[in-house]
Amino acid sequence: MAYALECKEINKTFGGLDALRGINLKVTEGEILGIIGPNGAGKTTLFNIISGALPPTRGKVFFKGRDISSMGAPKICKLGIARTYQLVRPFHSLTALENVLVGLCFGRSDPPPREAGVAEAMDILGFMGLGDKGNKASGSLTLVEKKHLEIARALATRPDILLLDEVVSGLTPTEMTRTIDTIHQIQTRGVTVIMIEHVLRVVMELCKRIVVLNYGVQIAEGRPKDVVNDPKVIVAYLGKVESDDQEIWGD
Amino acid sequence: MPPDLIQLLVGGILLGGIYGLAAFGLSITFGVLNVLNLAHGEFLMLGALMGYVLFTAFGLNPFISAMAVIPIFIIAGIGFYFLLLRPISEKPPHQLLVASILVTLGASLIIEDLTAFFWERPVTGIAYSLPPLELAGVVVSSTRFLILMFIFFLAFSLQLYLQKTYVGKSIRGITQCLEGAKVVGIPIVFVSALTFGLGVALAASAGVFYVTLFTVTPIMGIPLSVKYMCIVVLGGLGSLVGSVVGGLILGVAESFTAYFIGAEWSPTIAFILLILILIVKPEGLFGKKE
Amino acid sequence: MILLLGPLAALPWLAVSYTLTLIFFLSVYLTLALSYDIVGGYLGYINLGHSTSFGLGAYTTAILLNQGCSLAVALGLAILLAAVFATLVSYPLFRLRGAYFALATFGLISLIEVVVTNLRDLTGGSGGISTPPGNNLLPAYYLAIVIVLVTMVFSYYLARSQFGLALFSIREDEEVSRAFGVPTSFYKCLAFVISSVPASLIGGVYVWNMTYISPHSVFGLEIALSPIVMAMLGGSGTMVGPVFGAIFITLVQEFLWTKVPYFHLTMYGTVLVLLGLFMPGGLVRTRWIQPLLQRLGLGEELTYFKNS
Repeated sequence: MAYALECKEINKTFGGLDALRGINLKVTEGEILGIIGPNGAGKTTLFNIISGALPPTRGKVFFKGRDISSMGAPKICKLGIARTYQLVRPFHSLTALENVLVGLCFGRSDPPPREAGVAEAMDILGFMGLGDKGNKASGSLTLVEKKHLEIARALATRPDILLLDEVVSGLTPTEMTRTIDTIHQIQTRGVTVIMIEHVLRVVMELCKRIVVLNYGVQIAEGRPKDVVNDPKVIVAYLGKVESDDQEIWGD
Repeated sequence: MPPDLIQLLVGGILLGGIYGLAAFGLSITFGVLNVLNLAHGEFLMLGALMGYVLFTAFGLNPFISAMAVIPIFIIAGIGFYFLLLRPISEKPPHQLLVASILVTLGASLIIEDLTAFFWERPVTGIAYSLPPLELAGVVVSSTRFLILMFIFFLAFSLQLYLQKTYVGKSIRGITQCLEGAKVVGIPIVFVSALTFGLGVALAASAGVFYVTLFTVTPIMGIPLSVKYMCIVVLGGLGSLVGSVVGGLILGVAESFTAYFIGAEWSPTIAFILLILILIVKPEGLFGKKE
Repeated sequence: MILLLGPLAALPWLAVSYTLTLIFFLSVYLTLALSYDIVGGYLGYINLGHSTSFGLGAYTTAILLNQGCSLAVALGLAILLAAVFATLVSYPLFRLRGAYFALATFGLISLIEVVVTNLRDLTGGSGGISTPPGNNLLPAYYLAIVIVLVTMVFSYYLARSQFGLALFSIREDEEVSRAFGVPTSFYKCLAFVISSVPASLIGGVYVWNMTYISPHSVFGLEIALSPIVMAMLGGSGTMVGPVFGAIFITLVQEFLWTKVPYFHLTMYGTVLVLLGLFMPGGLVRTRWIQPLLQRLGLGEELTYFKNS
């Protein structure tokens, strides 16, 4: 039984910089996997490689057992992997509806005819709470709305795997709760979710399993409670505070 | 190598040096402002005219003129920047593109038309020469040789300037990462204006040398701008060494084409090289892959 | 629009041939402006070299007419040649972005002009080429109007089609467009080739009517820039923008050019500069005109681009 997504020994080098080294990941169908790590750890780069925006320098990505490492982004999207962006990137001058339609018409291997497509796009917008914003230029939406629009656009491609990149950053606690709910619902519809997140609360609530990246290397993996208490992970985020303290206070 | 070929090579390198100098100016402008200046060729033309005037009216030799035009055009460039480029610099990328094309193209047309009005006849090359040199048994025009040395000296000192001085480093900083430069506190507007001034001053300086060899017409600006762009792409976006090398390659290629195939085919070379490099190595000879 | 067709059709009986020629030229420029905007406005790649297709269409038609081909065959082959050329040249060109693409396409015109001029035996060189004489003004007039109307309708429906949506998405954010399945490389080339068709076609009709062209008349600065300025002045990225721009500029040129014999390029350049500084979105996006158009149902693409 193939994993929904498998990354084998992914390496990515930019010029002289190793952004990712030896990343191995196995994602089972239907799970919500969290990826955490300090800034610059390579998380978004990993998403770029999985979604086909960048090729890996070494290593392979398998989607349902199929090697997608050198397929371009358009093809990978049609196969069933969709993403959102850390810094939102809607098609600014297009309306919210048009944004979703792009995903709907081009992101699937069998797009629906026009009328049905528009109806479905409106449904998706409604699901994400944007039902009345369909004709607004997406560039004029608020940040929350833009983030939800990105998810709507990704959902329109009927993905098997949804890559969410810091989708709750900048949201208020209420908005966060709503988004958590929505992601749960997405999961119950059969979508596998991989999410990059900084906000621990979201990670704890949604993810049964998380992976920690630091300086391009996997340093921990497992259940949220275990990983969060892993000394390696604490050090990665906070630095060697404890030992420094001991030195300073001569303990 | 037969002496003819050496002459051809030297002529090509000289032409290439002039191209490279002007392309160097275009490259730093683009690196800092992110706006391709379609009017760049106009400044070469204006510099050429100024060199001509300085020579015929005051007997100033081209080497001095080439240095003299630099401060004049730095100021002119700064003025151009504040008048036309600064107002559009804050726009989002696609609008900036459209606006910058409109503005610089419009400026080109205005400059060309006004120049043509005040200057009816084409300006022939300056009759400036020194006694010829003999180098390894080949007679080389010492004028050309000196010009070449001068251009290399200018390019070399510019490279030093970029490496060592605060302004130079600011230019490189902004080119590499605008956000980072802002965070570090580099005065963006000031450096942008200065860079633009410097960029067009280099074109003007190249123009002074240009008029010692070739005829200058008011409408030569736009085809030249296209040529410089080809050179910048050939050498690699963001690479200053690339612009100079690209210029040299083009100069030599044009020279040889003119001799072996015919002068009327020389203008096509820039474009053919562009298409070739785009097919073979799109990021340019010295450019970096994304 | 139907209201216009009547008078336009009847015009030859009512008006002087000068007016017919004026409308003919307007049609030529408007066709070029509309076809330019498919790549320049919908796709967002500023193709300053659009008139290359025009010139290629004109020269191919001229050469074929001189060989005795019928107009239909000549035009058909002209379109084909321009389309093939566009396909070949789009592959390297689309590796460039932004201003580099603009300048490179601009340089393409000079390149083709030089090639055409140098192939003296085929094209008559810098002296130009003549086609079999004949007073074709009347049929050419009708043909040009048909072509421009078809191009307008095509442009209108393209903007509302799925393909049009894809082009807009590439313009907005090419990388994201790819990430959502749009085959960007293919579509860019396709748009480029599509836009070459009306241009080369009207080029052929142009030479058929004028019975003489020179490299300068079809590859020169004026024919290269005017349609693009019309599209930008009117409003790039919409169907009505180029229409506004073409009519506006043709009228202005008619009145101004005869009154002021000098400084044409300077005025042109000043318009460009002012446009770039204050109104890059064009006339149709100004506060007075935009709401009107939206009520007419022509304003769908106007959210793209804000003036100043």
